Amino acid sequence: MKRGTRRIETQLAVIGTGIAGFAASIFALQRGLDVAQFGHSGAMAYTTGYLDLLGVHDQRVRTDPWAALDDLRRDEPHHPMSGLGNQTIRTAFDGFTDALGEMGIGYTRAGERNLSGLLPNGIAKPTLSVPDTMLAGITALETGARTLVIDFDGLQGFSAKAFEVNFAERWPALRSARLTFPGMENRQVFPEVLARSLETRATQDALAEAIRPLLNGAEYVGLPAILGMHAPDAVLARMQEAIGVKLFEIPTIPPAVPGIRLRECFERAFPEMGAKLEPQLKVANVEFGVSGATLYLHGPMEDLQVEASAVLLATGRFLSGGLRSDQHRLSETLLDLPIRQPEGRQEWFRREYLDPRGHPVNRLGVEVDSTFRPIGPDGDPVHEKLFAAGAILAHQDWARQRCGAGLAIATAYSATEAATAALG
Amino acid sequence: MNAMAKRIHEADVLVIGGGATGSGVMRDLALRGITCLLIDRKDLNAGASGGNHGLLHSGGRYAAADAETAAECMREGEILKRLAPECIDDCGGVFVAVEGDDVDFAARFPEHCRVAGIPCEPLTAAEAREREPALPEGIIAAYAVPDATIDPFRVVLENVGHAERQNDSRYLPHTEVEAFEIVDGTVISAQCRDRRSGDPIEIRARQFINASGAWAEKVARLAGCKDVSLLYSKGTLLISNTRVTNGVVNRLRLPDDGDILVPGGTVSLLGTSSVTVEDPDGVAPTIPEVDRILAEGAAMLPVLNETRFVRAFSGVRPLLKSAGSEADGRKANRGFALFDHEDQGLTNFATVAGGKFTTFRLMAEKAGDLVAQRLGNAEPCKTNVEPLPSGDALRWTEPGAAARDWFKRSDPTDMILCECEMVARSAVDTILQDAPGAEDHMSLKAIALRSRIGKGACQGAFCSMRVTSYLYDRGVYDSPDGLRLMREFVQERYKGVRPVLWGAQMPQAELAEILHCGLAGMDLAADEDGGTGK
Amino acid sequence: MGAHSRENTLDFLQVAKDLLPSGASYDACVGCGICASGCPASGLFGMDPRRFINMAMLGMNEELSTTPWVWACTQCKRCAYLCPMGIDVSLLVGAARGAWPTEDKPSGIVRSCAAQRLDESTSAMGLMSEDFVEIVEETVEELKENDSRFADLKVPIDKKGAKFVINQNSREPATEPEEMAPLWKILDYVGADWTYASKGWAAENFCMFTGDLDAWKDMVETRVNAINALECETWINTECGHSFFTLWAGIEKFGLEANFEAESLVTYYAQWIREGKLPVNSDWNKGNLKFTVQDPCQLVRKSIGDQAADDLRFVVKTLVGEENFIDMQPCRSANYCCGGGGGFLQAGMSKERRAYGKRKFDQIIATEADYVLTPCHNCHSQIDDVGEHFGGAYTVTHLWTLICLSLGILGPDERKYLGPDLADINLPEGT
Repeated sequence: MKRGTRRIETQLAVIGTGIAGFAASIFALQRGLDVAQFGHSGAMAYTTGYLDLLGVHDQRVRTDPWAALDDLRRDEPHHPMSGLGNQTIRTAFDGFTDALGEMGIGYTRAGERNLSGLLPNGIAKPTLSVPDTMLAGITALETGARTLVIDFDGLQGFSAKAFEVNFAERWPALRSARLTFPGMENRQVFPEVLARSLETRATQDALAEAIRPLLNGAEYVGLPAILGMHAPDAVLARMQEAIGVKLFEIPTIPPAVPGIRLRECFERAFPEMGAKLEPQLKVANVEFGVSGATLYLHGPMEDLQVEASAVLLATGRFLSGGLRSDQHRLSETLLDLPIRQPEGRQEWFRREYLDPRGHPVNRLGVEVDSTFRPIGPDGDPVHEKLFAAGAILAHQDWARQRCGAGLAIATAYSATEAATAALG
Repeated sequence: MNAMAKRIHEADVLVIGGGATGSGVMRDLALRGITCLLIDRKDLNAGASGGNHGLLHSGGRYAAADAETAAECMREGEILKRLAPECIDDCGGVFVAVEGDDVDFAARFPEHCRVAGIPCEPLTAAEAREREPALPEGIIAAYAVPDATIDPFRVVLENVGHAERQNDSRYLPHTEVEAFEIVDGTVISAQCRDRRSGDPIEIRARQFINASGAWAEKVARLAGCKDVSLLYSKGTLLISNTRVTNGVVNRLRLPDDGDILVPGGTVSLLGTSSVTVEDPDGVAPTIPEVDRILAEGAAMLPVLNETRFVRAFSGVRPLLKSAGSEADGRKANRGFALFDHEDQGLTNFATVAGGKFTTFRLMAEKAGDLVAQRLGNAEPCKTNVEPLPSGDALRWTEPGAAARDWFKRSDPTDMILCECEMVARSAVDTILQDAPGAEDHMSLKAIALRSRIGKGACQGAFCSMRVTSYLYDRGVYDSPDGLRLMREFVQERYKGVRPVLWGAQMPQAELAEILHCGLAGMDLAADEDGGTGK
Repeated sequence: MGAHSRENTLDFLQVAKDLLPSGASYDACVGCGICASGCPASGLFGMDPRRFINMAMLGMNEELSTTPWVWACTQCKRCAYLCPMGIDVSLLVGAARGAWPTEDKPSGIVRSCAAQRLDESTSAMGLMSEDFVEIVEETVEELKENDSRFADLKVPIDKKGAKFVINQNSREPATEPEEMAPLWKILDYVGADWTYASKGWAAENFCMFTGDLDAWKDMVETRVNAINALECETWINTECGHSFFTLWAGIEKFGLEANFEAESLVTYYAQWIREGKLPVNSDWNKGNLKFTVQDPCQLVRKSIGDQAADDLRFVVKTLVGEENFIDMQPCRSANYCCGGGGGFLQAGMSKERRAYGKRKFDQIIATEADYVLTPCHNCHSQIDDVGEHFGGAYTVTHLWTLICLSLGILGPDERKYLGPDLADINLPEGT
């Protein structure tokens, strides 16, 4: 027995609950719009927690992302970030990380140079902004400080030993150790479970006590990303105090904490910020009318119908459901927006997986005009008040270019700016 | 390490080629008390033995064109079912003709089977669909035959494992023959190279058996023998995410693309194409091949249009050249030949080539007879009576075996490393300890070959990272080389994934790339290796 | 519970094909493990949701058909909530439960379902219709005698055409009848036109938990017929989770006809407060006691969604003071099941149930709250039990208790679920 259809109205309907969708809602709220956001779990769950702006361009690692952006504009004029100025991108980026900080997850502000974010295999990646819980690791690597990295019995896919061995040449003062996590003896443990447990003082104390005897002069201690879920900065501070050294987190293989942390942070904070958020519901259908769009969603017990003056599409790619494919062609899932693509799938992927040029399929997607409105084959906007942002956009390869967060945040910023203007 | 220090090995017999035939020869000889060294330039089943359906032919497939091969398949199949039941799923098979297929060919099928000695039971369309609910309406003819499936990896591992337990016989992977030292018509040694370290290896033996499958002509030429002439027929197959049918389903027509669907435990294999290629090296499935196979297969089993495929792979059939075979590999002789090379002036070198996986035991028996006779060993072949035992470290290639084992033991500290196929640390531990090649440096790829790791829906996206972590934990890896091996592994997996990337496999591939690039930095590291990791 | 025979073995891939929509079936799984990571039942009996899917893929039907894990999974649907593909493992778990031979199923659940089918009262504690009516009448009389302000209080039963028909968890009439009074007082306070039904009144459905679809349907049908007959506008589900889900989802699943709307009492608490009919406030909370609230999965994630969570928070914040409310994390639709649902409490697996509840316990402890409010009876019992087991210092209580406390109408014998700190607060005058 369903309860019938609930109807709501909003100025801007954001479809998608990834970084782009959440960033769009944040910016739209800041611009004073009435926002409703819909979607379902997606690729954000798999983030390392690092926010990249542009780490690789022209197949090379770039230390200066701003200069790299200048080169990007020259070399890839159709890249979604190429139409935006560095100042706009910086404003967007800092706006997003500041908002995250206010919600309870501190991030470093965008600097002039990329940081070397630590990865679990004992290598580093170029990234622009890192969670406060991961910052000390970057310093430790830079200074070659005496550091102890710890992993835990029963934790799949994170090896402190591998971290140590692979960093050994660059970081000789690095050591590794293994512990049993307090209260998690003889069992498989997920980082999420450890993180939640670390939100209690009893576990914080027990873990600190287990770590202290292993220090042996270490100035830094690295842990897999488990320092709490919804108050990581507080957990970090308390654990540092209890152990007496600097602590840092290292991202782990999914299912990992940083993505869950972001998702729960947004889900917690958005209702308080005044955005209507339905993180459980996928939009089933959208119809455009004269004054805007009607969105149809199906909840477990009731259907939802949303009258929106404007729509921002941030549904991501295949993993998040924004794009799909059959054996022969790609399509956009919700509105069947045109995707310019080669005939057949022969050209989608290169022969070599790690070909530094990346796979052409990653650059296929929704094409937009300068105000981030999806365009049809004739080059005209599909609808005056339909906007798109994030990974669904064409002409980018965010995973290879290390520009996922930058792309999501900057395009969300500009798309909401355009939406605000369109709404008058 | 001193690169100049040449390692020297000695054995009664050197067997070249770690496929079904080579490992079969090794076991055959070991059971006669003869000590062998088995080498492969890669690892076990690197050629056609690992690149096939896993179909234990009743012979029905060849009944119309080659009654002799058909009969041989039938006889050998029965022997293997009796002696190696743990490697075999005796699931039965059907031949079906659908609308548009040749009615007369279908009608002659029972007679062809009778001639070859293959039991063949006619089925009504309803009976056929009862056996195989995935079959469509509109079947015009159907017959049941005693087809079965065989795990080619398990067979080869068990062959080697059994041989190693008989005497000092040993297996050396990654060992490639570069030259033979021949004195007065006698091969004294094989000059080899360790393909990973680049170190030279000399292997001295009294007898040399070339069982290198598609590479047999090349190896024979190294010994100066020009009498082996092979045709290379590339066959491509698709692997589905789940098992589509209960038994083997064959299209009742002359062999063509996409007309056999073979269960492989928890998956199904659809194939195969047959394209003559110049070189047995470097074959990979292509998108047009995959599309053609799928279109043909779906005509027989429409459900394949909605099936998630996780991988495609190609093998090269080494076929003996015969008249008319140049143009069409399917017309080539599916039989095998034993070359004693005496007319090439050699007295202790032989090549066994051609044939089918189903007949590998017979091929090994014939080669074994020759070698035993040359060595003055009067022991008869025992592989036709001695059951193939089951080794604890060798049973992990069977789909679901690791999962069941883990579940039954219910040890909460035994972490699962490959979630799709549920392969736990304990299984990896036994492989590291006891599987053929274990005394050697065992990489992720070698462990995957000996288990189901990397074979599930994620095709190694996650388990490559988890197993690599574990190998570092265990000290198997102790340098950044472990990361290079991980990259190699996922690149190799990708070659099979690429042609089936659509539908449900696209999100999987996207996630894999996010992990491999974003979290593991493989693309940047590969770049440092020098481009594409080659 | 023992392993059972092959004839009860399901083909889980077929079950998935039948029950799960295309695109959200086993074939869509990318193996990421987000479901397993976020499931409190992970690790129990070696199982987790991802493993359930993988074992189905690997043809381990016998193992899946016999693993007691299906009784430790509370079918809370958190896995489906988190899964990027939306794969709902709880439906497969339901099918697995159904295939167990009745004699092998947890006897506590089976017995409760059998009790519910004894007569049309549908009470899991076997309370017959006439006994229920008698207990209600006696309790009303006592209340009237003890508290003159409620001398005119009416508890109608089978009042045809009342605006609301309200169900009642069996626990109160069967073991603590005085605990029914706070709800009656609230309904009296707001002047609700309501009634109990003498048939189908009970707010529990263990038949759904047995996995026996016929029994589930039978139970829902009895209730729907009884409610239909009363011709009330709205059926209000009391402070209970699964009895809400079981009814509306059962009506949907089995295609039954209902002439009423299904609503939660929480929705009405919020509405009555907004309308001023229930003028509660936090003045009584002078000690600034801290409160957290449990979002029942069955009510929030599985039924109404975050709207119910919003209403719940509005009610609680009004009651205890905004500054004294601390949310558990995660919460609302993302909340963890406490481990009391799905029949787990009655399944006789205390060790596993408490291991499951440890995550809820940690969540509660992290809030440092003094009280946990639970608008669900199973949540109430489980959270109380794990608190005691793991040494938590919190008290678990119902919303109606606090509402009446705030209104100054909570009698001295209605305070068994309050700690000593609140035992004497706002006692009605003259008591």
